Amino acid sequence: MELLPNVTMNHYLLVSVILFVIGVAGILFRRNAIIMFMCVELMLNAVNITLVAFSKVWGQSDAQVFVFFIMVVAAAEVAVGLAILMMLYRNMHTTSTDVLDKLKW
Amino acid sequence: MKELVITSLLGIGVLAFDILKLRKFILPLIVVGLLAVVGASIVDWGMNENLFGKNMIIMDNYALGFTSILCLLTLAWILTSTDYFTNEISRTDLYALVLFALCGGYVMCSYTNLVMLFIGIEILSIPMYVLAASNKRDMLSNEAGFKYFFLGALASSILLFGIALVYGATGSFQLDAIKNVLATAGSGTIMTAGILMIFTGFAFKVGIAPFHMWTPDVYQGAPTVITGLMSTMVKGAAFAAFFRLYYLGFTPTLEFTASIFAVLAGLSLIVANVMATIQVNAKRLLAYSSISHAGFMLAAVMTADSMNPRMLMYYVLVYGIASLTSFNVLYHVSKFQNGAEGFDAFKGLVKRNPVMAGAMTLSLLSMAGIPPLAGFMAKYFVISHILERGYTWLVIIMVLTSAVAVYYYLRIIVSMLTPIENAGRIVSTDSNRIGLLVLSIAMVAMFFLAAFV
Amino acid sequence: MQNDLSHLQDYLPVLVMAFVALGFVVTTMVLTHWLGPKRKTKIKSEAFECGIESQGNARSPFSIKYFLVAILFVLFDVEVIFMYPWAVIFKDLGLFGLLEMFTFMGLMIVGLIYIIKRGALNWD
Repeated sequence: MELLPNVTMNHYLLVSVILFVIGVAGILFRRNAIIMFMCVELMLNAVNITLVAFSKVWGQSDAQVFVFFIMVVAAAEVAVGLAILMMLYRNMHTTSTDVLDKLKW
Repeated sequence: MKELVITSLLGIGVLAFDILKLRKFILPLIVVGLLAVVGASIVDWGMNENLFGKNMIIMDNYALGFTSILCLLTLAWILTSTDYFTNEISRTDLYALVLFALCGGYVMCSYTNLVMLFIGIEILSIPMYVLAASNKRDMLSNEAGFKYFFLGALASSILLFGIALVYGATGSFQLDAIKNVLATAGSGTIMTAGILMIFTGFAFKVGIAPFHMWTPDVYQGAPTVITGLMSTMVKGAAFAAFFRLYYLGFTPTLEFTASIFAVLAGLSLIVANVMATIQVNAKRLLAYSSISHAGFMLAAVMTADSMNPRMLMYYVLVYGIASLTSFNVLYHVSKFQNGAEGFDAFKGLVKRNPVMAGAMTLSLLSMAGIPPLAGFMAKYFVISHILERGYTWLVIIMVLTSAVAVYYYLRIIVSMLTPIENAGRIVSTDSNRIGLLVLSIAMVAMFFLAAFV
Repeated sequence: MQNDLSHLQDYLPVLVMAFVALGFVVTTMVLTHWLGPKRKTKIKSEAFECGIESQGNARSPFSIKYFLVAILFVLFDVEVIFMYPWAVIFKDLGLFGLLEMFTFMGLMIVGLIYIIKRGALNWD
């Protein structure tokens, strides 16, 4: 991190924690499935930031390889998640999660 | 290595047979393949095979034991629900998805590196999201798939952040390296946060009390046959991974975190059993019953440093057999009555299909923990270890909630014994009848074989 | 510390450039809104599509096939990510690495053949 001497590990961690919390809050409180979907991606990418920063701290590359795997897993999740969303839209004609109230207690 | 290769080639082979229009050979292929996996794990027993010498996956006895248990449960699941697959147009897709999910299960019980843990969980989860939503026209299945996907993704991300933090604190993804750091240097802030996040992610995945909200919804909404797989193979694999994490990696933290484990286990037992008593839907009731069993298995993970892993294997196998049987019977019962899942659907089952009624009774009593059945020994192993640790209050909760569980299991059994006017027989396939008989015998036989655990 | 600060100074022109670009955009937007006459008619507020009159709603449902192709593209596209680290250590891995990548690509091709045979890419 010689490029930006005042930016320490804590700053990277802070950014990724903020992004992660935005993602968690989005999934828990938003009612639009597309936005919830974007929040899942946000969380995974927040983890990627942490991993790359830690990888630099420890001077190892294994965390960066892990990031590649996370990206591929995220792509697979996108495929499945969007397919579920598409199916839901075809049946309900909306992407709002308010219609999903048939299962409770 | 052999187990993983055989199962993944089996999944690809199923797809190839579908393209080549060899559909009637698919089922024999799967049966032979899965039996070959069990054979391979017997051959590999005690070899401690380290895949490519990279310390990512080690096929030790723990891994091989769980591999063969997951494999046998999946085989029993496929053989007892063949009629579900013959009705489905895209059945080969379902077979292939189950086999690929099984590969994820193998990785989850053989990992020695947190990267492999995450990849295994995702290989298992992503096909399960599809399977939960596989009934495309059914709104409940859609809703189940949606909830399962989002809460599953949330859980994976929390677990992943935990892994990143543990890596940041220790500089390694290897379980033994993490164990060394924990034993010598203790855990700092980042390490503690990481361990708690991994724990939370797992708690979501296995459905433990404060994080269990999705479980009843998903179990009720998903097609009943798929729910049977979720509560056996998936739950077993998740607990295998959970136990392995504390068995090989986070062992030094157990003395500080055991009280958290105990509180959550007690909470899941209380919440699940109280909620189960007020259910009117048998499928949802079985879902709550699976949460209460998750409480028991969490108590087993709590004693990961002193407990023999074979006892968890015994619990997973016993609960898996009982749960598989009950969901399978429920599927056939509701299929013949336009999807009814209330207690009334079971009325007169003794006359309508005695084999199913007998298997259902045995599985419910086994889950309740009534002595001549294997469920009793499974609970006994866990309770004896908890007592050694001095958590008497948890044992009291376990015994009291088991008594409550007997009440709601008996409601289904009483309903089966209630006679009903002009009800037709519930027909089933030969493989289903034989499968249910074998599972019933196993439930009794394993009680007497428990001495060898 | 002095050394580090001089390092940072190399980035000063970039910062100045960014500020100028941002300032230009903000200034012109404010100026046009302030100076320009405000006449709102129905035709003027319509979306401009190269002079062709717009028809219907932009959010009209489109064929599911676009979606399927897009999803499959994402899946096959992202697998290239594994070839970057592999390419970096390609020479060290030798024949073993080559065979591993052939296996991986072979599995992807089996998936592709399955997709084609199941008719997921048919347009008719």
